[in-house]
Amino acid sequence: MRLLLIEDEEKVSRLIVRGLTAERFAVDVAADGSNGLELAQTYTYDLIILDLMLPRLNGTEVLRQIRAQNEHVPVLILTARDALGDKVEHFEIGADDYLTKPFAFAELLVRVKALLRRGAVSRSNVLKVADLELDRLTQQVRRAGQRVELTAKEYALLEYLMSNAGRVLSRTMIIEHVWDQSFDGATNIVDVYVRHLRNKVDEGHQRKLIRTVRGVGYAISDEEEG
Amino acid sequence: MNTRSIRFRLTVWYAGLLALLLVLFGGSTWFGLAHYLHRSLSDSLARQAEQIGENFLLDVQTSGERYVIDEINEHYSPEQNDHFVRVTRADGSSLYVSGIPIHKGFDPSQVSASPPVSAGAGSREEHLPGGGELLIYSLPFTARDGSRFVIESGAPYDAIENTLRGLLLTLALGLPVVIAIAVGGGYWIMRRALLPLDEIAGGAERITSRNLNERLPAPDSGDEIERLAVALNRMIARLDESFQYIRRFTADASHELRTPLTVLRGELEAMAQYPCLNGEMRDTVGSSLEETERLTKIVESLLAISRLDAGEAQVERMRFDLTELAVTTTEQMRLLAEDKKIELEVETDGAAFFEGDPARLKQVVVNLVDNAIKYTPEGGVVRVSVRAENDHAVLLVEDNGVGIPAEALPHLFERFYRVDKARSRQMGGVGLGLAIVKSIVMAHGGQVTVESAEGKGSRFRVELPLANHNQSITSKSSQGGSNEERFTT
Repeated sequence: MRLLLIEDEEKVSRLIVRGLTAERFAVDVAADGSNGLELAQTYTYDLIILDLMLPRLNGTEVLRQIRAQNEHVPVLILTARDALGDKVEHFEIGADDYLTKPFAFAELLVRVKALLRRGAVSRSNVLKVADLELDRLTQQVRRAGQRVELTAKEYALLEYLMSNAGRVLSRTMIIEHVWDQSFDGATNIVDVYVRHLRNKVDEGHQRKLIRTVRGVGYAISDEEEG
Repeated sequence: MNTRSIRFRLTVWYAGLLALLLVLFGGSTWFGLAHYLHRSLSDSLARQAEQIGENFLLDVQTSGERYVIDEINEHYSPEQNDHFVRVTRADGSSLYVSGIPIHKGFDPSQVSASPPVSAGAGSREEHLPGGGELLIYSLPFTARDGSRFVIESGAPYDAIENTLRGLLLTLALGLPVVIAIAVGGGYWIMRRALLPLDEIAGGAERITSRNLNERLPAPDSGDEIERLAVALNRMIARLDESFQYIRRFTADASHELRTPLTVLRGELEAMAQYPCLNGEMRDTVGSSLEETERLTKIVESLLAISRLDAGEAQVERMRFDLTELAVTTTEQMRLLAEDKKIELEVETDGAAFFEGDPARLKQVVVNLVDNAIKYTPEGGVVRVSVRAENDHAVLLVEDNGVGIPAEALPHLFERFYRVDKARSRQMGGVGLGLAIVKSIVMAHGGQVTVESAEGKGSRFRVELPLANHNQSITSKSSQGGSNEERFTT
């Protein structure tokens, strides 16, 4: 998988490249708009990550020209501009996703993977982490064969964690996915729900699956908490 | 009709003034005419009396009284002319009295006795008991031989009365017609003259922070209206400029703050994954990440507030049921309350349709309820209610928690204000929740107030103006308190 990152902030692009490389992606970097457009037009990429405020040629124009030539390559906009008008405008031009800085790297990764998967969706109906099973069709959850009763929100939270098993999800990601942005204030609703979920899923089991990564968020995995 | 419009008021003033002037004019015409007619009648009567004296009575002792009578009859024939003539001697006996006139307007015998010869000349009005009203001029006269008489010459003045009545009738009928025409015409002219103002007002109404690039239609008329339109357009241009400045500033500031935050967060996240970290280091990194997260939230909140305060309508205004929003949002937060063993009650009073941004108003509910739960100890009660009051939707969030000290109340909605610094920081707040609530409510044209007693609890009240063309809002009427009144348009 070969990705193109068009981002003028050197530190930000170094960060993204480091993270994506660790996930075994090949990443090319362009530090300005016209250079980025040149690369995009020369090589075939599986995905383009595009900043909007770029020197020489701004991101909006780059996107427009990429779309004029190539209909299919997914483009993820990564920007500090979060006005709703900006989002709508860029979706209309042909962006596939929009992520606002500052972002959690985990979130960028989730979105990149989602975009690359797109087209050939293979959503398995049964999610498994260790001896925890979640059936999307019947909406039933079993731990070691024992049925676990969950509320609708707890189920949504668990499904989100399990479909990203092994990855740390930030509170903001969880809130936006399970609730909506209105809750992304000071409320500790995620922590309360995770605690309740833990009581139901991990309580009484030797192996604790849900783990907390301080300052980052929550993850579910069958690795022991380190 | 709008009774406070310039058009209406000017027309009323103008019509009133016109009516007053016309009444004054009609009145003075009437009085002038009455005065003139009376004078000319009494002048002619006086002349007649004088002529009778000078021509016939002066030499009465030589010509004899019979001559006087004949001359008067011949020259004036009072009966034919509807006149009254009487000549009275000094002893009060009549020398001559005219007969009943042919039109039988009055009976001369009913006229009261003449004034004594010693009285001065003058006229009087007589209302005869048998009908008829006479103006009588009496003139004391001394003949050449020294004998004294009173000559009276009279005429009915119903002719004058008739003329005046006719004038009054004309005025009474004509005046309203003239005023009505003037009012109608004035109103029409005013309408035509003020129509451009209506257009300007309509145009100005349509301009919001989102279409400041539009301008009002300025007629090329060179008059006050054009000046107004041009002045308003200049003002809109200045507003446009400052809005653009704020937007640019917001965008620049967000970019400048967000990029370093992105880097900081990314680096720390990467560090948190290092396998070689020991527990203490992991804790340090985690703590730094938490603070980065807080900083990010502060930046986001500040940007949100400054956008709202700049009046920039972030999202389209759509119609939705505020009650439903409050109920579902509160239900989503029930677990937070249960976790603290707080009873969360919801009270509603039918649908309250409101036009606004549901996502932002949801945030209002979340922030207020979250706040109430945080500052209410275990076993407390938090009550959320929505109801329509007149043309307002009222959202109440009440608790019986710790309350707010009186001296803190005025500052409660200020940015970064904390009642109890240590406590609220421990709760994870950034001190902007209520400031955001206020900005959102204000951006929707509403207001938020708070009442609180320390140790007893707080009550936050959000008032939002309901859209004018609301469909059905059930409202408890303030008079009857019944639930049956339903306003439907």
